[in-house]
Amino acid sequence: MKPVLTEAARADVATATPAATESPRLSHATREKENRLVAWLAERRSVILGFSGGVDSAYLATVATETLGPSRFLAVIGRSPSYPDAQWDAARSLAAQFDIPVLEVNTHEMLDANYVANPSNRCYFCKTELWSVLRTVARERGFETVIDGTNADDLGDWRPGLKAAREHDVSSPLADLGFTKDDIRQLSRERGLPTWSQPSSPCLSSRLPYGSAVTIERLRQIERAEAALRALGVEGDLRVRHHGDLARIEISSGQLDTWLVPQKLRALTDAVRQCGFARVSLDLRGFRSGSLNVIGVAAGA
Amino acid sequence: MTVHPFTIALASLGIEARVEARDALAVITVPNADAAARLRDASLRRAVVALAATRGFTTVALEIGNAADDRAPLSGH
Repeated sequence: MKPVLTEAARADVATATPAATESPRLSHATREKENRLVAWLAERRSVILGFSGGVDSAYLATVATETLGPSRFLAVIGRSPSYPDAQWDAARSLAAQFDIPVLEVNTHEMLDANYVANPSNRCYFCKTELWSVLRTVARERGFETVIDGTNADDLGDWRPGLKAAREHDVSSPLADLGFTKDDIRQLSRERGLPTWSQPSSPCLSSRLPYGSAVTIERLRQIERAEAALRALGVEGDLRVRHHGDLARIEISSGQLDTWLVPQKLRALTDAVRQCGFARVSLDLRGFRSGSLNVIGVAAGA
Repeated sequence: MTVHPFTIALASLGIEARVEARDALAVITVPNADAAARLRDASLRRAVVALAATRGFTTVALEIGNAADDRAPLSGH
């Protein structure tokens, strides 16, 4: 098997990212998963990856780049209003740092009334658009296999986007080979990927309650508010849930103590109001993945 | 004026608050920043969330604009 990183590269990574030197030893089982992934990729003539720059696709992109090289591998970024600019910048920066061959394409899910209506299977319509575009790219450029970064933990969640992937014959090697999110973070850390500790980063539309129409204006409000809160120093998981006039901020429960003081509440409020929300609230349980799934469908939105 | 039952429940925890129900989301508004700061206590937050669940709310959010503005005491309970 090709080494993950040369000794020289490991030294570079250790210099650039001190945390990487503290990486715990990988278990045999985790390392063996990567061996199987390399073997799986090597069996493919050529591969296109849906690349968001998130934890999973960043890891997969680096392994695929090493295994297949730039003539047999292409990472494709699908750009749309629901994809934050900050994540786009991070994805491009990571690709440049790790020599990942990248193509950017625009996707047009905002033109699909089914998507804009924001039903509970919204992700199906978004992914249908994404995989249709990537299938076209693959056909035009002669790539054989299309893959995504779905991992084994994702399979237990409500993810209607997976149906679209199946319908477009998109493979999910990380999930199929049993990679958990923790495996991917550990392996990413060893590789010196800056994404290893990055919070999950679903699309901006996930901040809107089902039934609340997805509009560019609302997506921009959310994006600006989250960027403003990051600028204030909010770390870790962060979502600004959009309830019309009301923003509901979710931060890691461990950070609530830090922010529930008068001057910081004022700073949070000012930052979010400047993004067009009349009212601002802080979730008392803190961040929960999919918290909007349990609130209900927005009425008349 | 009708008082939301969750308002009364919150009072049992010593929290004076106005409650706005939005489906399964309860938005609670306290009179000032000091009242909001009381919720730094994680055990009190857990108690609020647990109490809300018994009233059918899956989510509780503290309106912080009001607390940050330190407005006049609550009205319209």
